Amino acid sequence: MRDTTAVLGYAWPLVVSPGETVSFHLSSPTLDAAQVRIVRVRCADPDPDGPGLKLSEPGSAIDGRVALRDQPVHPGSAAIIADRPALNAPSLAAGCFIYPTAPLAGPQTVMSRWRADLGQGWRLGLDQAGHLVFEVAGAAGAATLTSARPVLEREWVFVGASYDAASGAITLIQRSLDRLGGRDSSSLTTGQAPASLAWPTETALVFAAHAFESGADPLTSGHFDGKIDRPRLFREPLSEETLRRACEMLAPSPADPALVGAWDFSQEMASDKVRDLSTNRLDGQLRHMPMRAIAGANWDGSVVQWTERPELYGAIHFHSDDMADCGWQPDLALKIPADWRSGFYALKLTARESSDDPVESYVSFFVRAPLGQAKAKLALVATTATFLAYANSALRLDQVHAEAMLEGVIALSRDDVYIQEHRELGLSTYDTHSDGSGWCYSTAKRPILNMRPLGNTFNYVNDTHIIDWLEELGFDYDVITDCDIDRHGAQLLEAYDCVITPSHPEYYSRNMIDAFDAYQRGGGRHIYLGGNGFYWRIAWHPTQPFQMEIRRGMSGLRTWEGEPGENGLSFNGEPSGLWRTHGRPPQRLVGVGFDAQVFTRSYPYEWLEDARDPRVSWLVEGIDLAKPLGDFGLRGGGAAGLEVDRVEPTLGSPPHLLRLATADRLDYGGVPTLEELRTLHRGTMGDQNALVRADIAFFPTAAGGAVFATGSIAWCCALTCNGYDNSVSRVTGNVLRRFLDPAPFEGFDD
Amino acid sequence: MLVNYPEAAHWQVDPSRQDLVDEMRARPRGPHSHDLQRLLHRMRWTGVGKRHVLITLDPGRRWMLARLPGQRGAPVETFPNRVFTSLIEAEWTVFAMRWEALTGQKLD
Repeated sequence: MRDTTAVLGYAWPLVVSPGETVSFHLSSPTLDAAQVRIVRVRCADPDPDGPGLKLSEPGSAIDGRVALRDQPVHPGSAAIIADRPALNAPSLAAGCFIYPTAPLAGPQTVMSRWRADLGQGWRLGLDQAGHLVFEVAGAAGAATLTSARPVLEREWVFVGASYDAASGAITLIQRSLDRLGGRDSSSLTTGQAPASLAWPTETALVFAAHAFESGADPLTSGHFDGKIDRPRLFREPLSEETLRRACEMLAPSPADPALVGAWDFSQEMASDKVRDLSTNRLDGQLRHMPMRAIAGANWDGSVVQWTERPELYGAIHFHSDDMADCGWQPDLALKIPADWRSGFYALKLTARESSDDPVESYVSFFVRAPLGQAKAKLALVATTATFLAYANSALRLDQVHAEAMLEGVIALSRDDVYIQEHRELGLSTYDTHSDGSGWCYSTAKRPILNMRPLGNTFNYVNDTHIIDWLEELGFDYDVITDCDIDRHGAQLLEAYDCVITPSHPEYYSRNMIDAFDAYQRGGGRHIYLGGNGFYWRIAWHPTQPFQMEIRRGMSGLRTWEGEPGENGLSFNGEPSGLWRTHGRPPQRLVGVGFDAQVFTRSYPYEWLEDARDPRVSWLVEGIDLAKPLGDFGLRGGGAAGLEVDRVEPTLGSPPHLLRLATADRLDYGGVPTLEELRTLHRGTMGDQNALVRADIAFFPTAAGGAVFATGSIAWCCALTCNGYDNSVSRVTGNVLRRFLDPAPFEGFDD
Repeated sequence: MLVNYPEAAHWQVDPSRQDLVDEMRARPRGPHSHDLQRLLHRMRWTGVGKRHVLITLDPGRRWMLARLPGQRGAPVETFPNRVFTSLIEAEWTVFAMRWEALTGQKLD
């Protein structure tokens, strides 16, 4: 058994051009060194029934040995305001609205200027039973107030506290915003603390955690799960009414001499900054990308998009397990030689090679074809948006429906076992945080275990079967990436006569879908060899590369559901959810669109009458149309399976599209997607419903362009069967050769 | 919030349905009859907390029985003496353990 996790790492940048430098950030708690080799990935799948792992070594300047160190990960988001003189007032009043999402998960801190290493300062938070607590401590003594009743999970509550340095009087306020139906947990608690407590110096003000050490960028602990809205800090004790009014006001008077800070989380939604409206300008820095653009305590349902009334979105949802950037120091750096081909690359790390538990770990990166410098007529897209969306998925570990959905006992990889025990790496956008809310961001500044050779057989590994097939058949190609398509648009695509989108190009930003639309209208030819493509609407961060965002909304095949009003993307203000619900269903782009999952097994296609159309005789050359197409494959024994798409004219499949083949007998394992169901009846499953199917489609577009779509994730894992000599391979080759031929497609004008 | 409650699976298991056991033994990976599908969904859905899974030892060749702890961050429980060389064999074994847990009847 290969140990794939003893050393882990990430490459930065994730995507590089020849001539640029990539650095590798590595960590191992057990190894002090490893052998390293750069490999170009041809097939990443170790399945002995397939082509097997195929990696070539181009030879690099860093091949050799690397010393390793343990670089810990510190998850948990927070907002950190570096210490300033204004924070050092002897007395204080602090207040905000909170919406706890895991109040019983353990002691948590909401607002603090506290040093856990000294046990001094002040902090407002929750105890392990979910009671609000206010703690003050200094060299002269300490005191703690605890509210009478615990806060409720997922209920807004106004919380506040004050300390009068002159008298030592302390107050703790807890007021439920909705007091109906047993939801009132309000209380007012007063007490006595030592007067004139001295606060620790060089201590950051922290929201959603407390500092564990001194300094402007301290380690934090006591992380809070939940929303915080409109925190305010004053330099004197205030009555409950005054403090609450200050929190309710969107902009407390900056001229108020008692005001220390008033933070407005509705500003600069895509950034990692929080802005203070007071004259002190106590702006802060967010750590680990807590969820922004979420409904605040004042959200009333009048709008559902944060851009319409940002003032209703002045909250941030912090999570104790948020993780966006491991912050590891680099261990190796490589300038990519100018003559390296674009492609999927990885740093291969090996150790203990002669033992019975040899280490074999990989750190993936992608070498792009430089913008404007196409080396081939064909481009293969590395679907980095999809890879990030699925990064470190724990779906099969955490979600109780996983085994029923996948229709069989779950086989975990060693990577999965590692993820189960090491949640600090951060999960995927399919997963939920420990408080049950969905992960909406994914970044590449962390090890991504399922985006590398030997990883789980989905997305990255499946896509390498296409690379292997292209290499075997001798097609020349460039690799381009989703993130570059988003940044550079159609100009990146138009350098190519033909572009292949692989097994599962599921996540698309508006720039990406516009780029493909323009490319196809401009005469580009698009081969879509997958299923469930062009499905979710996402955003890439406007300035930070390789950060993507999804809001799942309330439609689509979703493992979590976005909260009401929170389905607008913080990165760009656009709505998220399905492209289908935004008038851009996949059928409009590629003729087919997602309609079902099938995990019991995969199926062959049957050829349809359109396949006999003489206008596509080139497509079926050498094919017996009386025989099933793809009654073989590495994923379920067929070419139509896992996730499948169909032609649907009402969703925009073009009128002159040819529906060449179909797999519409998916049996009981074929389960329609949720948006396919309007009303409910017992006949919707694949054994009774021919709308549960995979279709193969061809249609010409404007200016000599064309689209070919297979509508199945399993397709690409049938390409290599029987030594690459099979009907799936032949059809794909026929299409690719014809698409690389600039001759227009005749006879479709009528 | 969208929540899957494992206890919502309430298809009634009939311990006298030896025919379903026989069918599963004959075709552990399907296709399955309607009633066997329902039995399997009951077993697979309610397995939370102590869900049996496999750990791939040698891709496509060898798998070890294991059990998920039902808690994030906790280690996966492994059974190094229960190694399978076919997924069909593993599927049947997990079925037999669940049948016994649900009905009290031990299968051969």
